[in-house]
Amino acid sequence: MTIDVSISVVHVVDDEAPFRRSLLFLLESSGWQCVGHASAEDFLLAAPAFPSGGGCIVLDVRMLRISGLELQRRLQEAGSAYPVIFMTGHGDVDLAVQAMKDGAIDFLQKPFREQHFLDTVERAVRLSLERHNASLRSQCAQQTLDQLSARELEVARWLALGLSNKEVGRELAISENTVHVHRQHIMDKTGAGGAADFARLILRANPSGLD
Amino acid sequence: MQTILRAVLSCCTFLVLAFALVSQVRAGDVRIGVLAWLGSDEAGTQWTPFVQQLQEKLPGHKVLVRHFDLAGMSQALDEHGLDFVITNPGHYVMLEERGISRIATQLSDQRHDPAQVVGSAIVVREARRELQNLEDLRHQRMAAVSPDAFGGYQVIGGELQAAGMNPESGEPRMQFTGFPMTTVIEAVLQGRADAGVIRACLLERMLSDGTLAQGVLRVLAPRPATPGGCRVSSRLYPGWAFAAASATPPDLSRQVLLALLTLPAGDGEPGWSVPADYRPVHELLRRLQIGPYAFLRESGWRSIVQRIWPWLAASIALLLLWAVYTVHVEHLVQRRTRELRAALAERRELEMRMRNSQQQMEHLSRLSILGELAGRLAHELNQPLAAIANYARSLLRRQERGSLSAEALGQAAAEIASEAERAAGILNGIRGFARKRAQERSARDMADVVREAIGLMGSMLSQAPAFVIHDRLGARRTVLIDTLQVQQVLLNLFKNAWDAQQAAGEAWPIEVGLDTEADLCCVTVRDHGPGLTTEQQEHLFEAFFTTKPQGLGLGLSICKTIVESHGGQLQAQAASLGAGMEFRFFLPCHSHPASQPATE
Repeated sequence: MTIDVSISVVHVVDDEAPFRRSLLFLLESSGWQCVGHASAEDFLLAAPAFPSGGGCIVLDVRMLRISGLELQRRLQEAGSAYPVIFMTGHGDVDLAVQAMKDGAIDFLQKPFREQHFLDTVERAVRLSLERHNASLRSQCAQQTLDQLSARELEVARWLALGLSNKEVGRELAISENTVHVHRQHIMDKTGAGGAADFARLILRANPSGLD
Repeated sequence: MQTILRAVLSCCTFLVLAFALVSQVRAGDVRIGVLAWLGSDEAGTQWTPFVQQLQEKLPGHKVLVRHFDLAGMSQALDEHGLDFVITNPGHYVMLEERGISRIATQLSDQRHDPAQVVGSAIVVREARRELQNLEDLRHQRMAAVSPDAFGGYQVIGGELQAAGMNPESGEPRMQFTGFPMTTVIEAVLQGRADAGVIRACLLERMLSDGTLAQGVLRVLAPRPATPGGCRVSSRLYPGWAFAAASATPPDLSRQVLLALLTLPAGDGEPGWSVPADYRPVHELLRRLQIGPYAFLRESGWRSIVQRIWPWLAASIALLLLWAVYTVHVEHLVQRRTRELRAALAERRELEMRMRNSQQQMEHLSRLSILGELAGRLAHELNQPLAAIANYARSLLRRQERGSLSAEALGQAAAEIASEAERAAGILNGIRGFARKRAQERSARDMADVVREAIGLMGSMLSQAPAFVIHDRLGARRTVLIDTLQVQQVLLNLFKNAWDAQQAAGEAWPIEVGLDTEADLCCVTVRDHGPGLTTEQQEHLFEAFFTTKPQGLGLGLSICKTIVESHGGQLQAQAASLGAGMEFRFFLPCHSHPASQPATE
């Protein structure tokens, strides 16, 4: 997947103005679109939409009032697609561990090598795109599955698990013929060619749909 | 009380009875003591006729006569064993001090003056022709009965002294033979002495009764006036005295006197006359410095020394003691002075050492504040350095890509310069603070010092907390302080306040109150942290007490030392309103206006 830097956006949240400006300057020199925020509140207020070209947030851990970690937590709760890259002036191992556990892409200690920083940003943006696309596919699959009736969905799940029509009929206490009719309807509605397609569709909509 | 009264009464009764008893014993007796100058036997025969006549004159009394030598008579008088004494003029004068008083003076014969009775003669052998005057006796040996004998020595002693000789120092050399007086005659006759002193008339009596041959002895330098035709070498003195003892009843004295005066004067019997004037005797004794005038001998330096010796010795001893004491005190003073000087020197050295160590402690404490701030400081320095690095890398990247615009270059360069200055500013702030230095005081406006400390805090920390200063200082707002030390105190308090608020996650500004209270400038630093427990407050100013994991626990104890060394006080108390602590220190106001801070 190629990244179009002109349509990706990198957000920098740091209350240290000179440093924030220097980061923006660096990102711009690599062609990134970037926006600076003086505090976590500023970012939440701006509430930028996820850009089509992907994006990420570069976040200072220690800020007054709402800290970097707190912002990360709130974004996760809101289901934000932005990956987070943390920066800190302190070698704070506990913070780093917590941040990584909470899904941060990386934890950079200032001053960091600019190449490493830019690579990380790129990695994050790529990841954001992937996540975004996966999310889109999942939504699409779900919409398809939503066309099925409850009984049809049940039948599709059993077939996806590799059971024959006869076996599914026994499981659901219906005749083999009825299962066959359902199967036909499912294939018509989803455009799927067989049991393997059923499985793919269900997993795409919900990775744990076959558990 | 009754017992005592009874005892006193019985005592009195006993005394009265005893007196009565004594009186009874003495009633009717006339006890007369006679000086036996020729010995008791001789005296007995001599005085027997007189005693018989007296007894006849005193029919109602019994006359008892006892013979005494000089000392014996004094003793008898002291024991009240005599009513009367008969003694020679010299002895009488001596006894006057024992309270006797003369009632009659013996005459040599009835016609004679009682004041011209007793005289003495110096006898020499007829063969010693060269001895003619008293002066000739100067280097001779002279015999006499006793130095106590009046007619037997003292009268002649007076004459010798009048002639410029002193028998007591061997001019002439005296030999005392003792009584009877005839032994003197014998000594002269046998040649043991060149001259002899005898009573007037003894020689004549011996010649007349044949005990001495005519023409063997002669009287030296005889005087013309002679009592009873006896030759004498001396002037004449009153006759023997008949004296009453002090306790003798006046009645008895009168009866005895009457008897004496009416005694028949006969051959060889001395008559009695009214008492003569004994002043010549006194005069003689005074000249000889004997008897009652013995004290005159004590006028010589030797006697003076002897008399005052105890006093002198005591004085000398006291002087010596005083001298010893003075020397001792002087020694003590010197030792104490030495000790004091040593102690002072020691104390000065100790003070200097303490001052040095205090300076070192202060320095350490400043370093420890820096240490506690170091984490922050690293962060503060990190930021500008990281920013600078970012700009530089960015410029390189843009140059490589050929997209470096003049505008971007200008922006980056400006940012780089500003960040470098910021880093330098941070370093400058701590360099002055961390330097070791000696204390120097200047008059400063308290508010200026507080503002400088806040500025220092701000220069070290980009995210320095906000401060609010309530300047309520009056006209007296100057303090005489070591600026750096007081700044150290302020920084400590600020940092504590900041730490407390950080821990509690509070973003309040730190409040600094400035007040004038009487003669004191008061600075209060109030935080909005969680505050301290009472126990923590109690130990707050102790060295090595800390509530912080990385703290040394020296900050506040050093602060207290610094404030106290400025004559002030440092206190801590819970804030009166809301949570948090109030640290307050007082410094005495300075009367002179503030000088400008020294530029560094």
